[in-house]
Amino acid sequence: MMEYSRLLLVLLLTFPAVTRTAAAESEAPPEPGYPETLVETGREHFISNCGFCHGRDAQGGSQGQDLTRSELVANDEGGNLIGEVTRTGRPDKGMPSFPQLDAATLEAIAAYIHTQRYLALTAEGGRRSVEPEDLLVGDAEAGQRYFAEHCTSCHSAGGDLAGIGRREGLGLLMNMLYPRQAARSSATLTVTTDDGAEFSGTLAYRDEFTVAMTGPDGVYRSFATDRIEFSIEDPLDAHIEQLARYTDKDMHDVYAFLRSLR
Amino acid sequence: MNMLTNALKSKIAVLLLPALALNVSAETSSDIAALLLDPPADAWLTYHGDYTGKRHSQLDQITPDNVHTLGLAWLWTANAGGIKATPLMVDGIVYITTVDNLYAIDARTGRQIWHFEAEQHPGFRIGQRGTAIWNDLVYLTTPDSRLVAVDRFSGEKRWEVQIADGSRGYWSTNAPLLIRDHLIVGVSGDFDNLPGLLRSYDPESGELQWTWYSTLPSDMRTDESENAYGGQMWMTGTYDPELNLLYVGTGNPTPVLNSEARPGNNEWTGSIVALNPDTGEQAWGFQVAPHDTHDWDAAEVPVLIDAEFEGEQRQLLLQASRNGYYVVLDRTTGENLLSTTFARTNWSLGEDEQGRPINDPDKFPQKPGVLISPDEAGATNYRSPSYDPATGYLIVSAADAYGIYFYKEEHGDYGWAGADYGVQSTGYLRALDYETGELQWEKPLYSGNGSAGVLTTTTGLTFTGDGTNNALALDTKTGETLWHSGIGRVGNMPVTWMLDGRQYVLMASGSNLFAFTLPQKRQ
Repeated sequence: MMEYSRLLLVLLLTFPAVTRTAAAESEAPPEPGYPETLVETGREHFISNCGFCHGRDAQGGSQGQDLTRSELVANDEGGNLIGEVTRTGRPDKGMPSFPQLDAATLEAIAAYIHTQRYLALTAEGGRRSVEPEDLLVGDAEAGQRYFAEHCTSCHSAGGDLAGIGRREGLGLLMNMLYPRQAARSSATLTVTTDDGAEFSGTLAYRDEFTVAMTGPDGVYRSFATDRIEFSIEDPLDAHIEQLARYTDKDMHDVYAFLRSLR
Repeated sequence: MNMLTNALKSKIAVLLLPALALNVSAETSSDIAALLLDPPADAWLTYHGDYTGKRHSQLDQITPDNVHTLGLAWLWTANAGGIKATPLMVDGIVYITTVDNLYAIDARTGRQIWHFEAEQHPGFRIGQRGTAIWNDLVYLTTPDSRLVAVDRFSGEKRWEVQIADGSRGYWSTNAPLLIRDHLIVGVSGDFDNLPGLLRSYDPESGELQWTWYSTLPSDMRTDESENAYGGQMWMTGTYDPELNLLYVGTGNPTPVLNSEARPGNNEWTGSIVALNPDTGEQAWGFQVAPHDTHDWDAAEVPVLIDAEFEGEQRQLLLQASRNGYYVVLDRTTGENLLSTTFARTNWSLGEDEQGRPINDPDKFPQKPGVLISPDEAGATNYRSPSYDPATGYLIVSAADAYGIYFYKEEHGDYGWAGADYGVQSTGYLRALDYETGELQWEKPLYSGNGSAGVLTTTTGLTFTGDGTNNALALDTKTGETLWHSGIGRVGNMPVTWMLDGRQYVLMASGSNLFAFTLPQKRQ
């Protein structure tokens, strides 16, 4: 069992295309069959603690993603993954931590989420989610022209983005607009200290008074900004500039172009 | 002789104390509503500190010259939940809330005096913005929309009332506003199609006095074309005692993202309204966000100032609103004097004759998605701004942000009725000229959004927090940082008061409340 899961995980990580097939096959999962009282307890705790962001039905809300379509939820067993992420939060994505929730509460919350996932995947219509086909309204050729003009100083259709079109849907669109996952590690901090020493590494923290990096040696170093010269290079700044430039048509055209890169 | 004089002096001082300095006396303040008309320096009696919403203090002990010596007087930690609340203080006691919890703390030591925990019912536990004080009571609103009155000396519950039906999707984080014998309380609830309501209660008995609806219950509707719900008044309003008008911002309409289901302007959602606090009767309304489809309420603080506008002295109302618009109104009539933007926006085609933004219909949420600026969290939000009269700056915690919005028929016409996702946001503290809305300075907050409010003082200081780790004191004129302390991300609204001749500044981060003051001189 263990070996099988590990093998599956390796396959999922290695071949993005397989992920989709696996997801498609899981469209009609078996009914989770949790006791009704556990699900009800989970529902109450979920609504109180999670519902504002993830929606009362766990199908996404004001800020949180649709958990019934979450890969983490799909891979969760009895709350092992849900529990951990709930306890620790996801600070980089704006999700707070809930250290006060005990194991029994987390188990109930997980039972509710799994039940909601089953209901959502077996429901007809009425979903609040965004389907991959909803997004395919652009003109790939126009997108290619836009790409050539605005994106090729950093990206290449045959290089870093080769095969990107095997991905689809909201995830691809969001990453195209602003790759949040990359945002944590994209910026480079270069520091010259007052005694002339130079350091360079991945930006780990920044405020008005302190900057910090993780160096190529894996060492974390922080510096007081008033005692050093420093510069920050963040290729994602270009994405922010782009956000101000996109028309909705441009956005959909570029998306259509990326989808064509299979 | 000398000793006699001193003894006599201290006797006179003791006799005078109850009248001059409430905190040193054993007597307690018994008429909070009267004190609110001219708040004393040794108290913070209501959410905004006074009725104007300026969050500007006349206290002058902490100055640009000595603020760098500011240090920690005490630290108190709530045993349950994070602090989003503005702490109130009277008679040397701090009253502060977290979700379901109300605490009394000794303002001199940070020692907890009592803790009241409300009975917990299902409801959104997303925050609690603070309490209100009336004579011997303090109040707590709850995640299932109850209003609980607690004895402020014993911490025991006196009574509770249901403001709105929690099981239908109403919740409350609201810090009530006391106006004479009216306790004004608001609720939240835009995940359901619910009428927007604001209620006034007798602060002593909890008896309901009036309800004002921003959107009517279906059985009270006479106009059948009116399909909008929502417009909840979840933030604390402001009040002009001379005009006897209560000003409050109303929330976004529901269904939230579905434009088609609710044609028209959807009054009075996304509005600033003026109400008579005695009757709940509406004097006027101005829609800052007509027919909103992006979750941009106009619940942000309506700041009341008396100042010149185009050379004429006027009674003004300022609001930096969540949709990115900064508006100036004449608060006697609601007449719009200025509408401009203070952050990036891409959804408006300009303003109509009345100064209301005109929606670009291409920017209503759509099936393939539309890229919208700002994002759902908005160009600003609950974070209270502050008005500094010396510079004429309204200092606002703002953001330039992008979100993507979807709506298709399958999303229906109930509650959120669509989907939206934040794409990218950059937070700034911005100083706006009150008369023109023009940017005077800005300061990056080093995160997508700040979570701190703003406080200015008469010595030219601005207190706030950045978006990462620091409490800040800035030069109000320039935005330059004069002091900082790495207490964590400030999550509430800074306040200040005098106690025993010392000026304190309080800010919270996480579950911790920090009281800062200048170092004590050696005697």
